[in-house]
Amino acid sequence: MQKVEIDSFSGYRIYPSKGKLFVRGDSKVFRFASSKNASLFLQRKNPRKIAWTQLYRRMHKKGITEEVAKKRSRRTIKHQRGIVGADLATIAARRNQTAAERQKQRLAAISKAKSEKKEKEAKKAKPATRPSAPTGPKVSKQQMKGGKGGR
Amino acid sequence: MIGLKSTLNVIDNSGALLVECVNILKQKVNNGWGGVGDEIVCVVKRARPVSAAAQNSVTAVKVRKGDVRRAVIVRTRKSIQRPDGRIIRFDDNAAVLLNNKREMLGTRIGGVVSADLRMKGWGKIVSLAPKTYPELRLNA
Repeated sequence: MQKVEIDSFSGYRIYPSKGKLFVRGDSKVFRFASSKNASLFLQRKNPRKIAWTQLYRRMHKKGITEEVAKKRSRRTIKHQRGIVGADLATIAARRNQTAAERQKQRLAAISKAKSEKKEKEAKKAKPATRPSAPTGPKVSKQQMKGGKGGR
Repeated sequence: MIGLKSTLNVIDNSGALLVECVNILKQKVNNGWGGVGDEIVCVVKRARPVSAAAQNSVTAVKVRKGDVRRAVIVRTRKSIQRPDGRIIRFDDNAAVLLNNKREMLGTRIGGVVSADLRMKGWGKIVSLAPKTYPELRLNA
């Protein structure tokens, strides 16, 4: 099987049984698709200066501008969607809250937590006061748990 | 297209550098012109100077200016078409010198030769050459 060769002057493709092969004195091989290419090569013309060759076209960026323009037009678009643990509706709701509303919510939460704490302490205080709560050595809660604050 | 008075470069190490064709050995159809693989009779026009040591040794081949030798054409400027449709052409005409038994005079070949030589029964020259064009594609 012969493969498709590339013209060494113009860069054209040379299909099997077409073109000419030229072996120069320094045993370098040149392939030409047509006598036009061979002739120009033997006249020692520079393919970079002849407008229809692939070399020239590549040098002057001919025929590839459209592709480049298309590539550039692609841009990142911001898109909203839900993430783990919060779907789009909850995110939107959070965002649309006003500052005042948020403040109100926060205050409500704080007061709620405080009242809960009070209730808890009230419950705790009844059984805790009778045993040796004041008499025992002062040990922090974290120490009792064996946590990291105990050192 | 090698004919009378054509000059060819010699690319073996026989000592000759330039030869002039004086006769093309006849084949069935060569019409007086020689191509790659054809045998010619030639006169050595330019040769490498023979050193004194080489002159004394018996085995050394001595090719001098003015010698008449046989040679085989290995490259031609005239383009040749191969059976697969490729057309190939070289930059110069070149030959390899032979003795009377159609064996190579030199022992080495320094240069490209045409792969057509193998088809014409000059396989030894092809195997000695550093490169052939078109490249041989061995059945592997």
